[in-house]
Amino acid sequence: MEFQLSFLTSGDVPSLLLSGLVTTVRLFCGAWILGFVVALTLVGLRTIPFAPLTMLVTVFVAYHRNVPTVVQIMVWYFGMPSVLPEPVRLWVNRSDTEFLFALVALGLNVSAYMSEDIRSGLRAIPHTQLEAARSIGLSAFAALRYVTLPQAIRIGLPPLINRTLILFKDTSLAMAIGVAELTYQVKAIENLTFRSFEVFTASTLLYLAASLSLMGIGAWFAKHYPPPYRS
Amino acid sequence: MNRLCRIHLRPTLQALSGVLLGLCIASGHARADALGDIKQRGKLICGTQSTSVPYAYQDAQTRTFVGYDVDICAAIAKGLGVPLEHKPLSTEARIPELKTGRVDMVAGSMAYLPERAEQVDFSLQYLQGAIRVLVKEKSGIKTLAGLEGHKVCASKGSSSAAIASRVLKKSKVLMLQDVAACYLGLQDDKVDGFTAGELVLKRFEVESQTSGDRTIVLEEPTFVERMGVVVNKGNPELLAAVNNALLELDKSGGLNAIYDKWLGAGSVYKLTRAFKVEPVNLQ
Amino acid sequence: MLDILHRYWTLLLVGSWPNGPLGGFAATLILAGAGILISFPLAIGLGMARVSPLSLFRWPATVWVYTFRGIPLIMIIFWAYFVVPAMTGFKVPPFGTALCAIVVYESAFLAEIVRAGLNGLPPGQIEAARSIGLSYGQAMRHVILPQALVNMIPSLVNQFVSTIKATSIVYIIGVEEVTFAAMQVNSVEMTRALPTFLVLAGYYFVACASLTYAAHRIEMYIARRRVQPAGQKPIVADAVEVAG
Repeated sequence: MEFQLSFLTSGDVPSLLLSGLVTTVRLFCGAWILGFVVALTLVGLRTIPFAPLTMLVTVFVAYHRNVPTVVQIMVWYFGMPSVLPEPVRLWVNRSDTEFLFALVALGLNVSAYMSEDIRSGLRAIPHTQLEAARSIGLSAFAALRYVTLPQAIRIGLPPLINRTLILFKDTSLAMAIGVAELTYQVKAIENLTFRSFEVFTASTLLYLAASLSLMGIGAWFAKHYPPPYRS
Repeated sequence: MNRLCRIHLRPTLQALSGVLLGLCIASGHARADALGDIKQRGKLICGTQSTSVPYAYQDAQTRTFVGYDVDICAAIAKGLGVPLEHKPLSTEARIPELKTGRVDMVAGSMAYLPERAEQVDFSLQYLQGAIRVLVKEKSGIKTLAGLEGHKVCASKGSSSAAIASRVLKKSKVLMLQDVAACYLGLQDDKVDGFTAGELVLKRFEVESQTSGDRTIVLEEPTFVERMGVVVNKGNPELLAAVNNALLELDKSGGLNAIYDKWLGAGSVYKLTRAFKVEPVNLQ
Repeated sequence: MLDILHRYWTLLLVGSWPNGPLGGFAATLILAGAGILISFPLAIGLGMARVSPLSLFRWPATVWVYTFRGIPLIMIIFWAYFVVPAMTGFKVPPFGTALCAIVVYESAFLAEIVRAGLNGLPPGQIEAARSIGLSYGQAMRHVILPQALVNMIPSLVNQFVSTIKATSIVYIIGVEEVTFAAMQVNSVEMTRALPTFLVLAGYYFVACASLTYAAHRIEMYIARRRVQPAGQKPIVADAVEVAG
């Protein structure tokens, strides 16, 4: 048995790994954007003093946090089409919708967590900020948008970066419904050639490199948009 | 970003090179005399899969591991004259455990493939299986050629997946989590075919007679898998001992008994044994 | 679904114990519980080191956090199980390896949450604490950390819940926790994936929801004991809000 790193540059391996990486990055970007937009919506919805709406947000967050992510992906892929009307369902089953369902499932999952992280940030802001904003005539929503939310996101940046990194690694769960992302390709290569240590090294290094880039972007963001008191 | 790279990347890279160095050390641990080690240790550590019916799985009532592969491990241990320590392994860990010497051999229903044989040594075949395709009766597909342009599902990590990509070149191969997910996909029309070992498909075919749409197994196999016990390279004595044990098992009728219990007349599959204990790399 | 529970409840609850190592839901709870209990104090230390003015503490903590947030947990477990024994000659059983990997992984994430809490406080707090004569340690223990950690409770609960679910990955080194047990059931039953999955999801839901509820109760307790400006309601999430 030999540990041959050169295996990773031979034959099909680089192109398979690259295509897996590209799929992972596409899945990640789509899910992150969807997740962030929905998270902001959830935070905004919580400010509306309408009890059924607050209950709805609570149930949404509860479901997406407490049910395992891979189960959520499966529910979308296997369960969702069965509630759609027949012609739509047949179209969905015939086309390549694995990627889309994985994207939606991951995006909604991360949105629940991100809304809680933004809420952490909101709690760290002194209540006087909100009082001052309301007393100059801003509505609750405007106060949120112009005064508290920008500060909340800056304070809650480390947990948000945490969540972003976890999302990037959770893209490997899309393997359960057959999305050919990086971990899937790694396992396919290992299954065929039995070169476990080599491909797992490649997988570790690629995920580490991507995560370090994301952390770098986060650090840049934290430097240019620091929390209110630490400029 | 420069400052970030300088400060944070370097220690991490140093840590990683340490890991790789450690791996090189680990790679030097390939046992050159595994048989001697087994005799000295006084037991055989034999690995199998952990959630694969009927090869190696946990019986729900007794909560112990049973199966065809487990019985083969026991027979080889008997042939070597030592007690057996059975170790259930996950798909990711089965080869690393062998390569790092934590198990002496793996009987994991692994099919012989030339690429795989570069990394490990296969014993004589102790099982043969055909990989077939399950389709819905009403789809009208009768041959493998009929699957061109259609989606075919395989369970990830299985040889069926690797083989399907090769043999069914004109079909799109989708790898799902496990065989249950693939069957669900077939019933839901997400895929038009489901390729796996014939045993697995037999069970689903039987199941489909009573619930869901009826399915049939296509006659034409995509591949005939020849499965052997895998050991580390560079251990000719161990390989010879395992092969002897398998030949003895066959001669004494023990292999037939194991086959009947798990795959033949005594099981739900009712297959008949059609293979000989011969080298795996015959065409 | 109920008949799956009825038939396989032992397997799902304790795995193959006493015929083998402890598994099932019991293993999940022990692994997650011990993981959280050990990684949280470690993370507080790391978080404080990350904001420390002394680079002796800051740099190792930064490297730790960057490394273990960047590598997937499955790979940490894999390398810890196969490479560490080769390098140190020290064989740790699978459960121990899994626990260490989870502790190391979660501590990196929790450290960042602690850091966010520490940075989110007004600097006036530490200034005031030091100026009345409290040492650094006393200021941290009595003034800064209570506020920082309580502010970050939603994020901390997020991460604890993640830990419970992250334990499902340890099956690759042979720890037979509840997801593995469900995979066994699925393998035997073959076409009853949905009920099996629902039972599995049910186990995780119960564990995670209990944790969230316990965190909410702790929050209420702390809020009641806090001094609030006159006429102001305690700033704590509603029972309805956090119960999810």
